[in-house]
Amino acid sequence: MVGYLFSTLFFKKSIRELYSSLVDGGNATNWMSTAVKSHRRRLRQIASGSFLRRSKMFAVRSIRSLQFTFSQLGGTQQCLRSLSGSSNVVKKNDDMPLQMENPYKQPQKGCILCNITVDFKNVQLLSQFVSPHTGRVYGRHITGLCGKKQREIGKAIKKAHSMGFMSVTHKDPHFMKDPNICDIRHLE
Amino acid sequence: MPRYELALIVKAMQRPETAALLRRTVETLMERGAVVRGLENLGEKLLPYKISKHNERHTRGGYFLIDFHAAPGIVTGLLDHLERDIDVVRPTVLKNDPEPSNGPCCGPPVASKLQDTV
Repeated sequence: MVGYLFSTLFFKKSIRELYSSLVDGGNATNWMSTAVKSHRRRLRQIASGSFLRRSKMFAVRSIRSLQFTFSQLGGTQQCLRSLSGSSNVVKKNDDMPLQMENPYKQPQKGCILCNITVDFKNVQLLSQFVSPHTGRVYGRHITGLCGKKQREIGKAIKKAHSMGFMSVTHKDPHFMKDPNICDIRHLE
Repeated sequence: MPRYELALIVKAMQRPETAALLRRTVETLMERGAVVRGLENLGEKLLPYKISKHNERHTRGGYFLIDFHAAPGIVTGLLDHLERDIDVVRPTVLKNDPEPSNGPCCGPPVASKLQDTV
């Protein structure tokens, strides 16, 4: 095991400390904290990219070996935390973004007939989607309705035509002054 | 029993004659086993276009709505009977079942999973 430790030349300082503490037979908590600190510092350095030239695999291998030794010596959960990915410990990464719902989310826009029931009896409403000159039903690109409502309006208008509620060739003169919903400008 | 609506356009007549017509129409419905829920008067209006019926050209007419529950089998018989009535200009029977509202209207498609995948 000692030879294994020596093979990781990467973490000279921390390993030296370990070995010295092993030889001394010092207090467990003492050498553990310093070793952990230096280990963490090394990890941070690696994360920042200062040791980029060294192969990452080597670093990982050496870290794993350290982990192994720590676990053997009864290492605390703390030093295993950053790499092991144990599920029972909550990961606290200060740099990563928080998961939250989009704060700039706009409320969903519906079409103008969103919660309005379309009926063949409501001739005034139906007349708003019909040309005043010819009585033709406007298309979706003019009315701006969603698919469902456009179809409902179309069907209701045809029903009203056949049942004798609404005129086919013109718009009822009483409804000529209604506000213009559709995206169309009429010549005066 | 499904729910129907009879949209009746009747000849422009005096009040007692219209009342008599409505009475016999509702009686016909009840004879055939329909349960009449209600009767609405939409007023006497100018027809949207001139309608020729029973050798007459009609310009004005009275609009009535009769809401009823009936067996589906009687509908054709009822329409046949109403067509023969000379005071009725245009009878129409429609289904009137209340539709269940399907969630948010006019929203974006519910299964838009493309945004979630990174």
